[in-house]
Amino acid sequence: MKKIFSLSILAFASMFFISSCKNDDDTTTPATTTYASGEVTLEFDNIAGTTHLDVTGGTNYTNSSGETFTVTKFKYYVSNVSMIKEDGSVYNVPDQVFLIDESDSNSVAAVLENIPGGKYKGVEYTIGIDSARNVSGAQQGALDPANGMFWDWNAGYIFLKIEGTSPAAGMGGDFMYHIGGYKNSNNTNAQRRVHIDFDPSTLIVDGTKREAEVHILVDVLEFFKNPTNYSIATNGMIMSPGAAAMTLADNYVDMFSLDHIHNDVY
Amino acid sequence: MSKKLYFCLTIFAAFAFLSSCKKSDDETVETPKPLFYIPDGFPAPSGQLQNNPVTTAGFALGRKLFYDPVLSKDSTIHCGSCHQQFGAFAQVDHKVSHGINNLLGTRNSPTLINLAWHSEFFWDGGSNHIEVQPIGPITNPVEMDETLNGVIAKLNRSTFYPSMFRSAYGSDTITSQGILRALSQFMSCLISANSKYDQVRNGQATFTATEDSGYTIFKSKCESCHKEPLLTDLTYRNNGLDAHFADPGRARITTLAADSGKFKVPTLRNIVLSYPYMHDGRLSSLSKVIDHYRSSIVQSSTIDPLLSSGNMTISDAEKAQLIAFLNTLTDQTFITDKRFSAQ
Repeated sequence: MKKIFSLSILAFASMFFISSCKNDDDTTTPATTTYASGEVTLEFDNIAGTTHLDVTGGTNYTNSSGETFTVTKFKYYVSNVSMIKEDGSVYNVPDQVFLIDESDSNSVAAVLENIPGGKYKGVEYTIGIDSARNVSGAQQGALDPANGMFWDWNAGYIFLKIEGTSPAAGMGGDFMYHIGGYKNSNNTNAQRRVHIDFDPSTLIVDGTKREAEVHILVDVLEFFKNPTNYSIATNGMIMSPGAAAMTLADNYVDMFSLDHIHNDVY
Repeated sequence: MSKKLYFCLTIFAAFAFLSSCKKSDDETVETPKPLFYIPDGFPAPSGQLQNNPVTTAGFALGRKLFYDPVLSKDSTIHCGSCHQQFGAFAQVDHKVSHGINNLLGTRNSPTLINLAWHSEFFWDGGSNHIEVQPIGPITNPVEMDETLNGVIAKLNRSTFYPSMFRSAYGSDTITSQGILRALSQFMSCLISANSKYDQVRNGQATFTATEDSGYTIFKSKCESCHKEPLLTDLTYRNNGLDAHFADPGRARITTLAADSGKFKVPTLRNIVLSYPYMHDGRLSSLSKVIDHYRSSIVQSSTIDPLLSSGNMTISDAEKAQLIAFLNTLTDQTFITDKRFSAQ
């Protein structure tokens, strides 16, 4: 009896030992060793309020100043993307620059290549182009100056371009906002960092086993507000770096918000 | 045996012949300068050719494009229209540049000289790289008024450009980068360093007494901005033309009020050829330019500190000596080099 008792204690203890071991395994085995690297797609769903953005100029919208307007062009650069891991560490995606253009269905997503496998809790990116890429001469791909996002007279990239019509825009009826500026001198750097939190969910990157698609809403109405209510009547034409551009650069940060994530196992 | 000797003699004779040929070449034919080189006494270039090394095919493509009116919207003007070789690649006797449909620009066409030593372009320095600089005149509505995509489409229709692109870059595909890099190769090779002034610096010639006096005046009154040997210090300065600035100049780029009325210091190389003078071409002769500095400097909040004490003291005799010196800056080799001309 005594022997049986001690045996069962031993068995219990060993079970405890084994289970505690197992428990340890669960928490210490790094997830990255079990997930394969793969692509992550950032899908930019350009909207105005609650509806998909129409860039044909056929739909009237109203901004926070009560001005009606249409949109005929909406393009912007997304660059220097960083994926934020569950543990808070950061993976900087090298070398990829994306030109998002609502008028071109092939240019509304940023496909990030070779993202290490694992769990991610957020993504960060720059609206705009960093200083080094602004002073590197004639480039190709998204940075080809033939894409119409380059100032020739004051060389550098236009980070975000929104054009359209509005009765508030004065005689011509057209408004044009070409926002950019990479120099820090005289406060004309219009690069802005956007942070998108996946919380409470995470995005698992696991090679081709799972889709990994982050849908981001981009609301042009937010361009005209937060932190500054911007009126087209006040200034309908901004086509150079400077103070006016900086106000709108501050406004473009919160155009971006998480809509949903597709992360199903295929 | 005699056959073998004969063979040896033949080989020897052939060697002697070849080596004598080579020797006579060395003696009689002046080796042409390579397309791109750093003249004696010049500082290091800007480094903007780093990703775009000059090649014979790239240079030839750049020259073809430079002189091809297909770059303008209505195919009437080319780069060489406003940058004429005989005018040191400025537009002689035109106050401001003339674009398509007789449209006028707002500034005087600058010379294209030793541009590989510049890292900013235009009178206001608005362009930050020699490769992207040509986009300015190509797309400016009062200059060539074309688009990069428009140029690419026209070049794709040509019978010879695809093969020139293949020679330069290994592919028939015509890209904006290929166009811009070829143009910058051509422009970078527009090196002027064989004026009498250069020959004197290199000990190959001597100034006349008048030229030498002019050089002394130059060094005391001009050289602080027109720094040797490029004869520009590449900075932006207000040289006292106006009290109020119709053209904000450098301030257009920096948005700083302190830069209003400042323009890039032009090189004085080939200055006699590139009249008229100043950013808006308002002064038609070197005589008037010197008169400006000795009698018409206008004070303003952004006047260059070197001119804030007022007009320079330059006598008529000194003026003549100075102009004699400025004439030594003309480089006939540069303006007659066939490699830089339309082919």
